[in-house]
Amino acid sequence: MTDPVQFMSHHTAVEYAVPEPSRLGVHFAEQLARARIIGHKCPQCGKVYVPPRGYCPLCVVETTAANEVDQGQKETEDYVQATLLLDGSDTTLMVTGLEGIAIADVRTGLRVEAVWAPEGERGSVSTGIRGVGLGDAVKSWRPTGEPDVSRDALAEHIL
Amino acid sequence: MWKLEFPYRRSVGPVIGAFLTGLRDRRVIGVRTAGGRVMVPPFEYDPETGEPASEMVDVASAGVVERAAWVPEPLRTHPLDRPFAWALVRLDGADTALLHAFDCGSADRATAGTRVRIRWRAETVGHLSDIECFEPEPA
Amino acid sequence: MRDVAIVAFAQAPLEQEPGQTETLMLLPTITEALTTVGLTRRDVGFTCSGSADYLTGGTFTFVQMLEAAGAWPPISESHVEMDGAWALYEAWVRLQHGDVDVALVFASGRATAGASLRETLTFQLDPYYLAPIGADYVSLAALQAQAVLEHTGRTEKDLAQIVAQRRRDAAGNPHAAVSGDVGVDELLRNDYVVAPLRTHDIGPAVDGAAAVVLVAGDRAREVCDRPAWIAGIDHRADPHYPGVRDLAQSRSTAVAGARAGVADGGVEVAELTAVCSPEEIVLAEALGLDDSVTINPSGGALVANPVMVTGLVRIGEAFRQVHDHGRRRVLGHASSGPCLQQNLVCVLEGRDA
Repeated sequence: MTDPVQFMSHHTAVEYAVPEPSRLGVHFAEQLARARIIGHKCPQCGKVYVPPRGYCPLCVVETTAANEVDQGQKETEDYVQATLLLDGSDTTLMVTGLEGIAIADVRTGLRVEAVWAPEGERGSVSTGIRGVGLGDAVKSWRPTGEPDVSRDALAEHIL
Repeated sequence: MWKLEFPYRRSVGPVIGAFLTGLRDRRVIGVRTAGGRVMVPPFEYDPETGEPASEMVDVASAGVVERAAWVPEPLRTHPLDRPFAWALVRLDGADTALLHAFDCGSADRATAGTRVRIRWRAETVGHLSDIECFEPEPA
Repeated sequence: MRDVAIVAFAQAPLEQEPGQTETLMLLPTITEALTTVGLTRRDVGFTCSGSADYLTGGTFTFVQMLEAAGAWPPISESHVEMDGAWALYEAWVRLQHGDVDVALVFASGRATAGASLRETLTFQLDPYYLAPIGADYVSLAALQAQAVLEHTGRTEKDLAQIVAQRRRDAAGNPHAAVSGDVGVDELLRNDYVVAPLRTHDIGPAVDGAAAVVLVAGDRAREVCDRPAWIAGIDHRADPHYPGVRDLAQSRSTAVAGARAGVADGGVEVAELTAVCSPEEIVLAEALGLDDSVTINPSGGALVANPVMVTGLVRIGEAFRQVHDHGRRRVLGHASSGPCLQQNLVCVLEGRDA
């Protein structure tokens, strides 16, 4: 071989430890396991960082557990979301919060009645993207004990 | 652990290239500076003056240890996987020293002034590792 | 030249939460440095930082660390993939332009992130002649140590004595990874890592972060009761390859020291970046330091080596000598590369008003 050497191969390899998770990272993961997504809200500008990074880069202040916020998810236990057809109504209402009945026993046709919040605590009108809702006026719904309504009777209604 | 790997392939230019080509042929080639100093390994510029150096010269494959440091526990990236000494060796004909492993066998043999010669690898490719290591020159 | 002074220095605590990021090590450190002199991030006209991606294997990691400096609204900043001492040099140069008065300098590094610091740092070396044979910084320092011992007639016991003294010096230093009383004979019983260097001859690599605030002109006196004025600062480099120079000397340190004006009035204290014990001997000789000079009262790099921060810390400790201990003339030194290849010398003065 008489050609001059023009190239040199160099395979480099550097090993690193997998970084240990930070305390904040561990806490975030623990909350995820509980179906909870948390963030940190900057005490100065109010911006919420999800996942939390332990500081606000805009205000350059550290954020801590005292600044922890949920991402709208307030429930921690299993719950039922139900579609109700009120007597005399042709449109349905979506509600959460059934009390006095096990989740497994909730069924189509179950007759329920409103459990009202005390007078004075029924809040203001709440408006959401789907229009006016019941807000906090009705705390929950409970079975009346009456016989179930047949499915056929529920066939015609407007969503 | 995670690993970061880069498969580099570097161009070597005429001066370093001449040195590596020489190694492939089991010859040691240095470069003479304008001031007459022979550098092994060769560099493209005289580090004292900054002037380009390009006059290639042959030097011997044997020389003297100028400085040695014993390694009781080699790293996996070192040239040898048994205890050895790093050595700065001034080959006969050179004015600077070449760094490589010296397979001297024991710490008390890692001494300046020892005469050594290159142990060439069975297959040479044009790389510094064509020199497997230095070994004591037979008397 | 415009008069520039160091007015504040802060260092992140040695003990950090597990998995702490460099950004979160830097954020409170920078806040502390600025708050000491009543400044905020809004007062900073130029920011310069030092770090090295190779320590953690990340890419452009300093960009995220910049959040610790407060990079919104956008700031004027620069970065060196080097020890923060060179970021300080760049900030000093920037302040010479005269249009800004305050510069923030910071540095960080997680030297413990890599499986082997010796292997990682080898990638900063000559890719043709040094990196392929894995010539690591301890091996190279050992070759220099052999040269130093031969040149000076000093012994391994002398090296152990330097180490023991630095550990005693470090007794009051919360940033020291090792400190306290240790016998020379006990040290000499330890095995070599690369002869003649034993574990104690090499500063323990630690994670770290530090920040320094530079202020120019009269503003320095407004914010600080005893600024440490940069009377001279210079950095030089020797040839890279160890076989082409005399390892027992450091010409680049001698030139940098001369240019920084060490001899124009001498110094009372010298904080030297000697990561390996023989380096102190080389540096002291190159800078012309005699026994009247107190070397590394903080313990120096032999008691803690926060890679990429060590040199900046030496300058910070020199600042403390002026500001906290009333010294009049001191120097901080930083080094980079194999066998003290590249050296920076910063002479600081405390001036009575």
